[in-house]
Amino acid sequence: MLREALLVARKDLRVEWRSKVTLGHVAPLALLILVVFAFAFDANARLLELGAGGLYWVAVLFGGTLLIQRAFDVETEDGNFDAFRMSAIGAPSLFLGKSLGIFLQVVVLELVLVPGIALLYNVRIENWVLLLSAAVGGTLAFSVCGVLWGAMAAGLRVRATLLPLLLVPVLAPILLAGSRAFETALGVRAEAGWTWTSLMFVIAAVHTAIGLGTFGFLLEEG
Amino acid sequence: MTQALGNRHMTATPTTRVLGAVALVAVLLMALLGLVVSPADAVQGQAVRMLYLHVPSIWIAYGAFVLTSLSSALFLVRSRRRHDGGRHYDRLAGSAAEVGVIFTGITLATGMLWGRVTWGTYWQWDARLTTTVLLFVTYLGYLALRRLPADPMTRGRRAAVMALISFVNVPIVHYSVDWWRTLHQKASLSVGRRPEITGEMYWTLLYSTLAVTIVAIWLIVHRYRVIRLEEMRDEEALEALIASRLKEDDVQA
Amino acid sequence: MSEVTTVVAGWGLSFIVVVTYALWIVGRGKTVGRELGIGGQEELDPGSDSSTPADV
Repeated sequence: MLREALLVARKDLRVEWRSKVTLGHVAPLALLILVVFAFAFDANARLLELGAGGLYWVAVLFGGTLLIQRAFDVETEDGNFDAFRMSAIGAPSLFLGKSLGIFLQVVVLELVLVPGIALLYNVRIENWVLLLSAAVGGTLAFSVCGVLWGAMAAGLRVRATLLPLLLVPVLAPILLAGSRAFETALGVRAEAGWTWTSLMFVIAAVHTAIGLGTFGFLLEEG
Repeated sequence: MTQALGNRHMTATPTTRVLGAVALVAVLLMALLGLVVSPADAVQGQAVRMLYLHVPSIWIAYGAFVLTSLSSALFLVRSRRRHDGGRHYDRLAGSAAEVGVIFTGITLATGMLWGRVTWGTYWQWDARLTTTVLLFVTYLGYLALRRLPADPMTRGRRAAVMALISFVNVPIVHYSVDWWRTLHQKASLSVGRRPEITGEMYWTLLYSTLAVTIVAIWLIVHRYRVIRLEEMRDEEALEALIASRLKEDDVQA
Repeated sequence: MSEVTTVVAGWGLSFIVVVTYALWIVGRGKTVGRELGIGGQEELDPGSDSSTPADV
C-alpha cells in the first residue's frame, strides 16, 4: 500500500513540478495575504506581532485550500478517477498518496511564509523545535483533512465554492491549535504550545484513520 | 411506482394528522406555561422565558444530528449489500439534518436575544457559542452537499460519509474550543450555565422539551415524505425521457 | 431592549420560522404530489400518447 501511495504522490508532484503552480501562484498569493493583513490592521506593528501566529495559519490554510482544489481538479478533468477505479491502486493508497503530495506542496508554501512573518511582522523565533513540530503537525492535519473533504466535493460543478464551505469548519481546530502553538514558539505568549501541537497530531491521526476507512466509499460512483 | 403511494399526493396520513393536532395543542400549552403561568426569575426577570425555547431547541437539534449520523451509517451498510439499497436511510438523514439546522438556528437566535438582555451583549466567544456556530455551519454545508445534482446513490454516499465525519469532528471542535476558552481570559460572566431552576420553571422546561420534540418529529416525517415524492418525480421524469428517446429511435429506424 | 420586547421577539421569531418551514414542507408536498399525480397517469400508458405517430 505504501508503495502505491508513493506512486500517487510522485505523480502529483511531477504534475506540480511541470506546472509550478505552488511556487509560481500560490506561494506569492500567500505572501500577498500577509501583506494585505498589514493593510487591514493599519500597519499596527504591535497587533501584527501579536497576531502573527494566527495570520500565518490563515494564509497557509487559504493557500492550502487552493492546492487541494487543484489536486482534485487535475484528476477530474482527465477522468482519472475512473482510471484509478479500474487500476489496482486501492482507495487507501490513493488517499495516502494524495495527502503526501499535498503535504509536501504546503511545506513549500510554509518555507516561504515563515520567513514572511519573521520579516514582515517582525517576530523572532524563540523556540525552533516547537515551531517546526507545530508546522509539521498542522500541515499533516491539514493535508489529510483537505484530501478527505476534497474528495467529497470532487467532480461536482460547484466544487470551487463548496469545498471551502465544507472545509473551513473542519480546519477551525487546526487553525486554533496552530495559532496558539506558533504564538508560544514566537514568544508572543506563554501558552501550552506543546499541548496544542499534540492536538494537531491527534486530529491528523483521527482523520487519517477515517480517510483510510471511507475513501473507498467516496470514490464509488453510481 | 405511483401506485405504491396510492392516492396520497400529499404528505399527510391519518397518523400524522393526529400527530400534527397533538403538536399544535402541545405548543399552545407550552406558550401558556412558558409565557404566562411560569414565574419570572428573581435574577433574570422575564428573560428566563427565552430559555424555554432556547434549551429544548438545542437538545432537539443534537438528537436530530445523532439521527442523521445513525441513518448515514445504516445507509452506507445497506448500500454495500444491495445496489439501490438503503435509500430510506439516506432520506431520513437528510430530513433530520434539515430540522436540526433549523433548531440550531433557533437556538442561536434565542440565545443571542437572551444574551443581549442578561449579559448586555449579543455575542461572546465562549466555548459553547463558538462550537454551536461551527456546528450550524457544518450541517449547513451538509445540506449544501445534499442539494448537488448527482446520482442519488453517489450523492447519498458522500453525504453519509460527511455526516459521519462531522459527527466525529464535533467533539474535536468542542474540545479544542473549550480548551481555548479556558486557557484564555476568564469569562467575566458565567456564560451558558443553565440557571439553577426549580419548581414551575423546571417542569415548564421539561414540558417544553416534550412539545418541541413532538413538533420536530412531525417536521422530520413530513420532510422525509417530501424528499421521497421528489425522488419519485425525478425518477419518473428520467424514465419518461428515456422512453421518449427510445420512441424516437424506433421512428427513425 | 426591554425584557418583554426581547421575549416577544424571541418567541415570535421562533414560531414564525417553524410555522413557515412547516407550511413550506406541506406546500412542496402538494406541488410535487400534483406533478406526480398528473405525470403518473400519462407514463403508465405511453402507447396512448397522442403526440406520437399512430403506428410505431
